[in-house]
Order: sequence, then C-alpha cells, then structure tokens
Amino acid sequence: MKTNSGLNVHKAGKIFRAGSRQPRVALEGVSLHLPPGQVGVLLGPSGCGKSTLLRMVAGLEAPTSGALSLNGRAITGPGRDRGMVFQSYTSFPWLTVRQNVAYGLTINGDASSLKEGVVDHFIRAVRLQDVANAYPHELSGGMRQRVAIARTLANHPELLLMDEPFGALDPETRWQMQELLLGIVRKEHTTVLLVSHDIEEALYLGDVVFFLSSHPGRLREVIRPGFKHEVPAGDREALLDHPEYRRLDLHIRRLMSEEGRRAA
Amino acid sequence: MTVSLQDRLTHSARGAQVGVGEAPVAVSLRRRWLDFGQSLDWRRRLWLGACGWLLFLAGWYLAAQAGLAPARLFPGPGQVLTALHTLFAEQQFLGDVLASVRRIAVSFGLAVALALPLGLLMGAFARIDALLNPLLGAFRYLPAPAFIPLLLMWLGTGDSHKIALLLIGVVFFLAIMLADDTRQVPASFIETAKTLGGGRRSVLWTVVFRHSLPGYLDTCRQMLAVSWTYLVIAEIVAATDGIGAMMMRAKRFVHVDDIMAGIVTIGLLGLAFDALFRLLYRWWFPYLRPENHR
Repeated sequence: MKTNSGLNVHKAGKIFRAGSRQPRVALEGVSLHLPPGQVGVLLGPSGCGKSTLLRMVAGLEAPTSGALSLNGRAITGPGRDRGMVFQSYTSFPWLTVRQNVAYGLTINGDASSLKEGVVDHFIRAVRLQDVANAYPHELSGGMRQRVAIARTLANHPELLLMDEPFGALDPETRWQMQELLLGIVRKEHTTVLLVSHDIEEALYLGDVVFFLSSHPGRLREVIRPGFKHEVPAGDREALLDHPEYRRLDLHIRRLMSEEGRRAA
Repeated sequence: MTVSLQDRLTHSARGAQVGVGEAPVAVSLRRRWLDFGQSLDWRRRLWLGACGWLLFLAGWYLAAQAGLAPARLFPGPGQVLTALHTLFAEQQFLGDVLASVRRIAVSFGLAVALALPLGLLMGAFARIDALLNPLLGAFRYLPAPAFIPLLLMWLGTGDSHKIALLLIGVVFFLAIMLADDTRQVPASFIETAKTLGGGRRSVLWTVVFRHSLPGYLDTCRQMLAVSWTYLVIAEIVAATDGIGAMMMRAKRFVHVDDIMAGIVTIGLLGLAFDALFRLLYRWWFPYLRPENHR
C-alpha cells in the first residue's frame, strides 16, 4: 500500500464480552476509507458504535475482527501519529496552557520542534496567546478544548481524532469552535476523523460523512456533501441556505428516525 | 443583600404586629451565621478558631475551679502552662520533644518510602493491585500494638522497636490510601497521553503520579496524625527519652500537670505539622487554590 494512503478500516468488528453477560456486538464488518487531508465525520444514533470505532482507530480498543491501517501501517496500539481530543476536558490542570501544548513534544523528546516555536504557533492558531501562562482551571470550557486541540496538533499527528469535542459547549461557542477548527485544518492540511451526533456539525465540518446504524453498528451510508465547493469556505449561512444542504439534512433526519424506530 | 434586608423588614413588621415569635434581629443573624455552602475569608476563620480555643480553655478553667477533683489530679490551664514552662526551662524537655520528632520523622519517612511505590503501582496497574491489596488489606486489620511483645523480643527497647511499631501501624493504611489516591486519575487523561505518544513510563510519571501528588500529600498529612498515636504508645511501653517517656516518669510522681503539659505539647506539634503540610500544599499546587478557579 502507498505510504500516504490515509486511513483504511477493513471489515472491522468489535464484540464486548463483559463477564458472564451476553456478548454485545458493538460493530460489525465496518469498512471505510478516509483520504489524507480530508475531514471525516462518524455520525449516527447513540449506540451505533461510532465512539468505539474512533477508539479502535486511536488504538485504545483492539478490534475483535478485521484490520485498520493508517498510511499503510497497521494500527496495533495508541501512538503519536493519531492524537485524540476527548469530549471531557483533558488539559492537564497542573500544567499551564503553554506547558500543556508542549506536552506531547516534551514526552517525545522532540527538542527541535520545541525550539522552532511550534508551541507558540499553535497557541496563536487557537487564539490563546493572551492566556498562555494561565492554568486550565482559569479558562472557560471552550478555551480548554482549544488547549486540547493545540496540544494534539503541535505533536504533528497524521490523523486528528475527535470524540464529540464540542458536545459539552453551548451552541454559540460550539459554532465558533467549529469555524476555528475548520480554519486550522484547512491551513495545516490535517486529516481529521470526528465523532458527532449533530447533523449540522457533520455537514459543516465533513468532507465525507459516514452514517452508522445501530445494534449492531454497521456502516449504513457514505454521504459526500460535494455541494460545499459551491459556497464560500466556512460560510455557515450560505451553507445552511443551499438547497442541497437542506436535502441532505432531511435525508439524514430520516435515517436517524428510522434508526430510532428500529431501536424502539 | 436587598433580599435579606427585605426579609428582616417583613419579619420585624410581623413581630411588631403580632408580638410573638423570635426577635427579628436574631432571625436574620441566624440566617447569616448558618447558611449552606458559605465560604469564609482567613480572618474570619482565624477569629472563629480562636473563639473555639477560648471556649475550651474557659471550660477547662471553670471545671478546675469548681473543685470537682483535687487540684493535684485535675490542674487548670494556668498550672499546666507553668508546668510546661518548667519542663522546658529546667528539665531538658526540649531533648524529649526532639527525640520524639526525630522518631516520627524517621519512621514516617520510611513508611512513605515503602508505601508510595506500592500505592502508585497498585493504583496504576490492576494486576499489581489484585496481587497485593488482599495481603495489605489483611495486615491493616492487625492492631499494631499487638506486635509490641514480639518487637521487644526481636529488637529490644531501643529506637528500632519504636520505629518498627510506627511503621507497622502506618505503612499498610498508607499504601492502600495512596493507591486510592492514584486511582482518581481520569481515564481520559491517561488515554490522551497515550495518543500523544506517551509510553508506560512517561504516562506513569507525567500523568498518573503527577495527578495524584496533591492527594498523596493530603493522605500523608492525615496519616502523620495516626503516627503520633503509635509514637506515644511506643514511648510509654519502653523509653528513656521522648514525650511519652516524660509522661510515664511524671505518672510515677503523680505530676498530673506534667502529663497534661505533654498532651498539650503533642497537640501543638500536631497542629504545627498540619499547618506545614497545608503550606506545602499551597506552594506546590497553585492550580488548586480556590481563588484560581473559574
């Protein structure tokens, strides 16, 4: 396989066996491909295994069947090439914003990146230069999430993983964060795989949306909002107003409610 | 503020009209004094703490004055203070105090040196916890004083017997409590560090250990208080110097004021160590100070 082939998930399955209880099939035969430089969104109802799939890509869970690879290398465990941003705030409270952003480079002994001002570059990119020496407890939720994003990106991952990163934020902050993320990702040509249950977020951020169905989690549909090239990049209003957006929004809503009926 | 003022006004109006119930000022005072979730500044806390002490001393003084027991067996605070002064000025009590503090420092230092690695590994790794927790948990239930005859035979009446007793009394509790502190680290912190390229060693030190440090310090502060209990037991059983030994000497001559002076000294030393630990906590963990929280 080529070295820059992006993320490949091949017939991945996951069965949870907890003690004597009935084994639970979280994922079954999921195959997907995310080309480098694109933003992929895992969307679906709760219980569809989207977070499990993301954790498998991160190497935090091992698949029960199938195989995953990033740029031609098999995924066998967590690694620096796949940095993850969680929904809960994970900036380390004992480190300042700057120390948090430098954390990955520090533990990896990446002195050259530390010297080259990579840390300051990403602190500016998430607009935290004014609070670079503050502790996370002094910051708002949105700011803490920006610390986590800067910390992950400063570490040069080949793939940025995000598990409902803006789920705990209020709508206004969430929009701002989505715009900020999109701006950075476009500029840095980052490959992103993001879990969401929000249709607007998925269509706004995603170059490709993987819709998963639940019980067991399967890849139901791959949606490519290609019409986004027709509207100015990042222009939310123009996007929401586009007829194709409204068609896809309705389509995904139908998928969601079908899933809801199946679950009930 | 406006609301409470309003409250007071309605209350006083009602009180004037009906002429029954509690005095309105008392109602509003009680409300302000005892409300849930209040936070006090250090001045107020110091003032109230001093009041608590004054109440205790006044009660003690009155009880001694009331003549419930002979003054020889139940001296008042003044007598005990005089005894304390005499002890330090004429009877080389400072040497006893230093001997006790040295024993505490050595044995507690040893206990932490043994318990911290165990607690860290038990809290971080489930297999090590499953291996050691039942063992340490059982030892924790053995009362340390039960080992005294054994220790006296093995180690004699010297310092090693006292240090061993303190160690047995503290180390098992300490290891299990430090393991509990270690388990408090959120799984997402560990997973974040792993996806940033952290190996087992760097995650253990830069996340698990670092996250647990404030908890460790707090646990040590509390276990140090337990250490004092075992120290006095050890010194009462067999010792030529130390605070407990002084108290046993005083008992022989029915010097109750000296015994009480010894108890007061232990209390004051405990308070001082507690304050030292709290100070270290503030210095080392500025990010946990309440004024830094949003």
